[in-house]
Amino acid sequence: MRIEAHGIRAELPNGWEGRISRRQPGTLTGRRGGASASTAVLGEDTGPVLHMGNFALPEDRGDFGSGAVDLMGTGHLLVVLVEYGPDSAGTALFPTVSQVPRLTGRMFSSQGLQRVQRGQAGAQRFFTLNGRAFCLYTVVGDQREVGPMATTANDVTRQIQVTAP
Amino acid sequence: MAAVVVILAVAVAVLTLLVLGLLRSHADILRRLHDLDGGLEEGATTRAAAATGGRSGARAAGPRTVSRDEVRTFPQVQAPPEREGFTDSRDLVGVGIDDDALTIRVTGVEHRTLVAFLSGSCLTCQRFWDAFQKPQKLGLPRDVRPVIVTKGPDQESPAAIARVAPAAVPVVMDTSAWEAYDIPGSPYFVLVDGKTGLVQGEGTGIDWDQVKGLLTQIQDDASYAEDLESRRVAKYKADDERERRVDEELLAAGIGPGDPSLYGDGPDDPRLAAHQHAHDHPHDHDEPDERTRA
Repeated sequence: MRIEAHGIRAELPNGWEGRISRRQPGTLTGRRGGASASTAVLGEDTGPVLHMGNFALPEDRGDFGSGAVDLMGTGHLLVVLVEYGPDSAGTALFPTVSQVPRLTGRMFSSQGLQRVQRGQAGAQRFFTLNGRAFCLYTVVGDQREVGPMATTANDVTRQIQVTAP
Repeated sequence: MAAVVVILAVAVAVLTLLVLGLLRSHADILRRLHDLDGGLEEGATTRAAAATGGRSGARAAGPRTVSRDEVRTFPQVQAPPEREGFTDSRDLVGVGIDDDALTIRVTGVEHRTLVAFLSGSCLTCQRFWDAFQKPQKLGLPRDVRPVIVTKGPDQESPAAIARVAPAAVPVVMDTSAWEAYDIPGSPYFVLVDGKTGLVQGEGTGIDWDQVKGLLTQIQDDASYAEDLESRRVAKYKADDERERRVDEELLAAGIGPGDPSLYGDGPDDPRLAAHQHAHDHPHDHDEPDERTRA
């Protein structure tokens, strides 16, 4: 299955589900169902976010997978691609690459998680692709599986395409 | 005298018209009562008679089978689809209401998915949009994941959907899913077993309580089937051993499953003789083992 939005295209393997979204400017959580559910944040304008997982992604989740990682366990993998502002593109933290960087098992650790979860491991790579700055954030539900999961993550991220701004 | 005759003739004519009017009114009332009683129209009676081999054109007493085109539902409730069986399920892929693109797995997962096909314009759907605002109060089993599917942005207003969409239930705008699941209209609900990809049940109602009742019925049926399976009596050990020994002997004699000799009429069956010559194994044709006639 393919999803495409905001200049990002991703092919999802069988058994995966995903979403490409962009939080509405001026809202914190993007919650729906009533004006009271939104919280205004002046000046905030976030970029698109791609979430892909081999498990059922919950609706209420943050950009870096909070809400989803709580449900992860053995065999689960979450791949997140977060775009940063144009002023970050090409900077030292976001080196220019020709494709989404590959991951290895050694890149994963519990310290790589946005929020430490027992038994999980995460990895982050920052890069600029086609003039757009991204962070690739990957979480493995069981840190004992980082080796094969890194391979799986590479198979998935290899299919990601980004168009120039 | 002539005037009296004329007056009488006029009176008779008027009375005749009145009687004809009354008879027509009476026939109309009888026909309407017949319709309300679920009676067959003349044409339908003819069709029914033809379907039953033309045994009789008269209506049989007692309950009868109602064909799909005779089903009447409330205006706000969708009639059942024309097909007889369930359709295949498939994963959902479409756009969301926040200018996003998303996919939802329905098959190849451990959980079941309740796919709710709703619209932003149908009045009955509003009750379900309201119900989904608090998914924890839906009373769904823990292994059931609710997902709402509307038609695509070309047929449904994303703004209208955004006003009613719940926060905690995914909403996919995907017209092709309506076609894939053969949805007759909204609201409509399909329960898919993620492990097998099979549709466990489908239906609709005028409010969530009715749909929940359908789901409960499905759950009860599944539990009943599991209960029957658990109560199945195990085969006796002696029978099992005998069947194994027979199978081994037959296989050793070159007689496998589906062998014609297993279905023959006895030693005189020409098929048995033909099969015998096809093998070099010695079979006892004079005293065929009764086990080979199984």
